[in-house]
Amino acid sequence: MKITNEVRISDNGFVFNSKTGDSFNVNPTGLELTKLIAQGHDFDSIKNIFLEKYDLDDLTFEKDFYEFCALIKHHQITSQEDPLDFK
Amino acid sequence: MEKFKYVKPGMSKINAGMPSKFGLPVKQKIISGIDGIPVSALIEEYGSPLFVISEKTIRDVYGEAKRAFDTRYPKVQFAWSYKTNYLDAVCSIFHEEGSWAEVVSGFEFEKALSNGVNGSQILFNGPEKSRDDLIMAIENNACIHIDHFDELYLLIEITREIQKKARVAIRINLDAGIYPIWDRFGFNYENGEAWNAINRIMLAESLELIGLHTHIGTYIMAQAAYGIAASKLANLYMAIHRKFDYWLKYLDLGGGFASKNTLKGAYMPGSETCPSFDDYAEAISNALISSEIPHENLPVLFLETGRALIDDAGYLLTTVLANKRLNGGRRSMVIDAGVNLLFTSFWYNLGVFPTKEMDHAEETTIYGPLCMNIDVIRDAIVFPQVKTGDQLVIERVGAYNITQWMQFINYRPNVVLIDNDGKTHIIRKKESLATFKKVEFDPKRG
Repeated sequence: MKITNEVRISDNGFVFNSKTGDSFNVNPTGLELTKLIAQGHDFDSIKNIFLEKYDLDDLTFEKDFYEFCALIKHHQITSQEDPLDFK
Repeated sequence: MEKFKYVKPGMSKINAGMPSKFGLPVKQKIISGIDGIPVSALIEEYGSPLFVISEKTIRDVYGEAKRAFDTRYPKVQFAWSYKTNYLDAVCSIFHEEGSWAEVVSGFEFEKALSNGVNGSQILFNGPEKSRDDLIMAIENNACIHIDHFDELYLLIEITREIQKKARVAIRINLDAGIYPIWDRFGFNYENGEAWNAINRIMLAESLELIGLHTHIGTYIMAQAAYGIAASKLANLYMAIHRKFDYWLKYLDLGGGFASKNTLKGAYMPGSETCPSFDDYAEAISNALISSEIPHENLPVLFLETGRALIDDAGYLLTTVLANKRLNGGRRSMVIDAGVNLLFTSFWYNLGVFPTKEMDHAEETTIYGPLCMNIDVIRDAIVFPQVKTGDQLVIERVGAYNITQWMQFINYRPNVVLIDNDGKTHIIRKKESLATFKKVEFDPKRG
């Protein structure tokens, strides 16, 4: 899963997708996740970063991570060529 | 190092150029408690889902309705519509406030009697009254509202047999500008059927005609329609006096007043569009007072409004079971209260509210817990992020849900009353397997 080339992410949580013309607001944790995905971190690496930083358990993070991934994929912010690729 | 507080990651699409037609977004309404009792405490003690009825709200709303009519018309009598909510504790509150009972079946009649209502203060409506029901009504001196000619002749037959007079009224359907006209109930005014029925009753020695009744529909938003209905009843009232030199005792305008719930497909919220009790009272009282009925012979005005009196007093507390993202990207969630408990969710966009401040509102579909595709509580509601286990409140569910609910897949939950002193009481116990074992029989097991 990677952020598509047409997507630009500002530091204050504004996301613009020039492919679709849509723009979005992400909250601070959403912004952090998006940036980590953009930097190429995989799920385990992002999980470790979040568990270290936030008062959070691994199952809650996993649930929220995959829900967020489904949402950004739906908005064509990420592309996932292989439907079995969940990394 | 102390860790930061975690907030669920969220994203919302910016829809520029599509401002809300109602102006700036309003602050999310939160219902954290009912009559001063926290929702969390109620669920902890009585489980989830949980129906909660507020005695204070019942009495406040009833007082508002009574004041609206009493200040405009000299003789007003409310009759509590049992089918709207016939929990004994609820009926008792209305009877304490002075309401008679309005029933539509033998079961409801028996319930009213068991609640201590004097038989002469029961209005017996509806198309289904068995021979036994009618005998019970006659023996108890109830006001029987005749629905059709077959019932009229059955009554004549029964009263001859048991040699007792029946006190009757007839139900009249009429054109008050509300369509479709509910012509399946009662005798028609415009084509003369009602006048024929009246003449037949006046000739029957064993029947005493004491009133006229109409019920023009349900969730009626146009109060003027009640004025038209009242005028037509007043015409019949005077026609009876002219022909038979006889004054009836009452005119019954039925119910059908709207509650503040929002109908599906409505442009504006029901709380903004629903006429007030004052609006209905003004229309009905004006029509009767300005009719040709002499003031000294004005009949008692009966009202059988149910929905508008009880809807606000009922809440359903529920818990979030799951959050899901649907294929199209739409957010959805599953709660532990389904359409089997909320019959009115088929008609209304029910108000669903969180119990605490939450962020990141997004258009959401709310599903009930049933393994049935039709179990949708709200198709689309802008709702904040909630977690599994979070508690929500569905408001204005006091009317028709606790009578039309259905035992399906799961047990029906506790119903709790918060009394005027802020104390809670179970007024209907949650079902259990034993509930079913009592009434089911398996011939193979003996």
